[in-house]
Parts: sequence; structure tokens; C-alpha cells
Amino acid sequence: MRKILFVLLFLFSCARWAYAGESDLIPYQKGDWKALLALANERPIAIHLWGVTCAPCAPEMAAWGKFLPKHPEDKVIFLQVDNVSKEMIHTMLARAKLSNANNYYIAQANDEALRYEIDSQWFGETPVTILIDKSGNRESILGPVDFKYLQAWFKKQNS
Amino acid sequence: MAKFKSSIPCGAVKILLFWSVLTISFSAAAQMDMGMDHSSHSGMAMPAKFPTCEGSGLECANAATPFLSSDGRLYLAWTAGGVVSVARSSDLGKTFGMPVQIADHGKVLDAGGDARPQIVVSGDKVFLTYAFFKDTHWNAQVNIAYSSDSGETFSVPTSIVKDASSQRFPIVALEPNGKLFVSWVDKRLVAAAKGTDHEMLGGSIAYAISDDFGHSFYPEHIANKDSCECCRIGAAVDPRGGVAIAYRAIFPTGVRDHASQFISDVGIAGPVRRISDDNWKTNVCPHQGPSIAVSESGTFHVAWFTQGSNRKGIFYANSHNEGKTYSEPQRIGVEGSNVSRPYLLALGNHVWLTWKEFDGHKSFIHLKESVNDGRSWLGEEVVTGADGYTDHPLLISRGNDVYLSWLSRQNGYQLIKVGQR
Repeated sequence: MRKILFVLLFLFSCARWAYAGESDLIPYQKGDWKALLALANERPIAIHLWGVTCAPCAPEMAAWGKFLPKHPEDKVIFLQVDNVSKEMIHTMLARAKLSNANNYYIAQANDEALRYEIDSQWFGETPVTILIDKSGNRESILGPVDFKYLQAWFKKQNS
Repeated sequence: MAKFKSSIPCGAVKILLFWSVLTISFSAAAQMDMGMDHSSHSGMAMPAKFPTCEGSGLECANAATPFLSSDGRLYLAWTAGGVVSVARSSDLGKTFGMPVQIADHGKVLDAGGDARPQIVVSGDKVFLTYAFFKDTHWNAQVNIAYSSDSGETFSVPTSIVKDASSQRFPIVALEPNGKLFVSWVDKRLVAAAKGTDHEMLGGSIAYAISDDFGHSFYPEHIANKDSCECCRIGAAVDPRGGVAIAYRAIFPTGVRDHASQFISDVGIAGPVRRISDDNWKTNVCPHQGPSIAVSESGTFHVAWFTQGSNRKGIFYANSHNEGKTYSEPQRIGVEGSNVSRPYLLALGNHVWLTWKEFDGHKSFIHLKESVNDGRSWLGEEVVTGADGYTDHPLLISRGNDVYLSWLSRQNGYQLIKVGQR
């Protein structure tokens, strides 16, 4: 009986791992930006552009992983922009405890057209955080975000 | 078996299954509870409108680097689908022979925006270098391979150094004396400083020289211990001997502005010299390194990208004293336009400058020429353009002829004659 329960628990754990590891990365392509913004539902949103090969991104993702559980009401989307395997993305997200966040990845070449649609003056630098308020006004933060500033921005927008 | 069957309490199994379904559902709900309406996600998860090119052929390459040999053959190295390949052309890129695959690293090949394989040729000797990620912490390794039969076969790629930390973005230059100069971004000092009171940002600029065309290298040196870790290095042979390098340095307070250095023909690195005070104080990966060319007079010509507080965009400057002082930076393209990837070539006292400009729909390659060592420029022209993914524009020469090398998904590989000294 205990063996059966152990096997079932193991299978259940595998199923959970498979769910968390494979089904939570959503492909993003040119043309999807408006749909991504629509996810805000007229609330403020932060869209974080990051890459697994970007050295400053790793510690910042870990910081996002600590920020989000404390601020579950804040809408944040992560978009991974390097041309890497999904396994690589999963590994980094798991390290940052962000596997269950709203994770997207570019499913095409990171070319000018894709970047231009997001921001005509974004040339592929990472990390970048784009803050968009309820009225659609946007602010781009180049480099690791100041989480105190981010918290204050969300608080002001949500008030 | 029968014993097991008879001892399974159905109720327990049902409870476990119910618990599994409930918990998986809860996980999904928890994700949605982060405030997101995922109802429209299904629209994004549909089959790709822009299918990724998956093969290893030139048609799927993300970067292609040319070399024109003295016998007139074009050697092209490219990376596609995780594979590093080389092919030759006897008709300036109109047709290519069967590619030779040097390495297959799959998804861990460094195919970032500033990464590209490097190739140089001398007689029947070919030298190739590239980088790949060797572990799950994104530490990279610079591999080298060589051929002694005009690229028919290559040695098994090996690391250029024995250091175990991380090396990336190799650049190679063939000096007039036949020596090979290779420089790369090296993280050994950053790794050694980790956990100490003197942690370092970024990487370092390292270089090594070979006098047997890459079969062996003299011990490597660090030219500058503080550089950006995610930008390629620019390197150009000084016709009078030695190599000039340009790179995105990290100056005190974390300012990522550009510097140049001269490495003598016996491998001695000169002082680090700042190219311009852009004041880009950031801890970001720009993925855009500079380009440098050295004209007959020894003038350094440099072009670079910055998002500094003093200027934003791509710029050009030159130095007549090996980098001690640089001219005032000149903007390339129109301010506010989407310009990127400047590249320079000098031949005699002629200088060519090319860059890419995106108009919201299509990428265009612009070019302009100076016939007086960069003091003034003739009018710029648009050479070609393409939709979709495009590589950086590069310039190469054979004799007095100058060619634009450009790869795009739409038009494939193009080698276009754009000038003559």
C-alpha cells in the first residue's frame, strides 16, 4: 500500500513538474504586442524584457522572484528575447522562482521589426522594463529596475 | 501482483487523483490570479506566423562572416541551427561549394545579436573561431579550429585557453607579418573576484597571438580588466604593424563608454584611451560593440552605439595619434531614426562607413565614403534593403575593390561591390 502511494505521489510530482516546466512559456511574435498590452485590462502593467545570456539579467530575475509574491496584485509580464532553447529559459526561471509567472518568449528571430513594434528606440538591450499606466502612457527603464521605484509606481497607479 | 491489486484501497486512489487534479487546477488558477486575463493567450500560442528557420544552411544563418583570400576566393563562415559551417565561392558569393561543418553545438551555440564566427585565410591555411555556452550558468568558451587544406577539412575545435571561467566574442585579425591576433571578452578576473570585497562588473579584454596560424598561441594577456561582457570587440590591423582594438569599456562608476588600445606587433598593449564621453552609466547588456578601421596614415576610425546621457545613437570619430585624442563624435543617420550596426573599412586614405537603418517595415543598408582620411564625407547612398531578419552589414576588400557583405532571410547572402580606391 505504502509503495503504491509512493509511486502515485511520484507520478503526481512528475505531472506537476511537467505542467510547471513546459506549459507555462507562451510564444511571442511580431504582431502580438497589442494583445500583450490588452492583458492589462486597463490596469497598470510592467513588461520586463530579459535574456538568459544577459549577465545583469540573472540577479535581477531573482529579485523579481522575491518581489512578485509580496505584490500579487501587480501585473507583470516577462518576455525572454534571446534565441535560446525553452529548457534554458525554464532553468533560469526556476532559479529565480518565476516558473509560475506570466512568461513569454520570442518564437522568431529577434529582428528589427519585432523590436520596433515594442519600442522604435529599443535596439535589443537587456534588461528593459516597460511600465504602462492605465492611460497607456509608457516609461522604459533600461537596465535593472529599482524595485522601490517600481513598488511606488504601482502603488500610485493603483490608488 | 494480485496481492498489490487486492490491497489497493480504491478510496485512497480516488482521493489522490482528486487531489492531483485539484492541485494542478489550483496552480493554473494561481497563475491567473496574478492579475492576468489569460483568455487571449491562446491567440498567441497559435502556430508561428514567422516560422523559425531550423536548418544549418546559409539560408537559415543568423550571422555570416566573409574573408576574401589573395587568390580571389570568398570564404564564408556562418552559424545556423547551432552549427558552425564554412563554404567557399569562386564567383564572389554567387554560388558556393559544399559547406564543411566544423561544429554542432545546438542551442548552446552563441548566436546572440553581437556574436559571429570569425575566419581568416592565408594561402591554404584557414583559421576559424567562435563561442558557445558550456554550462547552465551561461559561461562561454571560445573555440578555435584550423585547416591546412584550404578549408576542405578542419581540426577538431578546442578552447583557445585553458582557463575554466568564461570567454566570449572572439575577434581575429591577420597581421601583415603573418601573425594571428585574437581578442575576446574574458571573465577570469570577474570570476576570481566573486565573493570578495572587490567584486567586478562585466568582463575583461584578453588577447593572444599566434605565429603558426592558430596551431598554438603565446600565453594570453589582459588588455583591460574592465569591459562590457556582452558586446563584440572591434579589431583592425594597422598597415604599419600592430592591431588597434575598440571595445565598450567599463569606466569608474559603471559608465560603459568606448575605449581603444593599440597592441604592438610584438604583443605589447598600449594604454586604454577613451573614445568619447557619452556617459552611458548602466548595467545593461547593449549587445552592440564598436567597429574600428586603421587607414594608411595610422588614423584610427571608430563607430559605435551608445545610449549615454550626453548622446544617444550611433556615432563616428577618428584619432590621428593612436587614440590619445579623438575628434568630436559625428552622428550617423538622422537623430531619432532607427539606426544600428555601423561598420568601417579603410583602404589607403579612403574610408567607407556602412550601417543599417530600419524604417518600421524594412531594413536598408546605407553607405558613405571619405576620400581624405575621414576629414569629410561624400553623400551617403542606400545600397540595398530587405524585409525580415537581417545580419549586420560588413565591409571587406580585395585589392582596391571594396565589397558590402550582407545576409538577409529575404535575399540570402549578398556580396556587393560598393567602392574602389
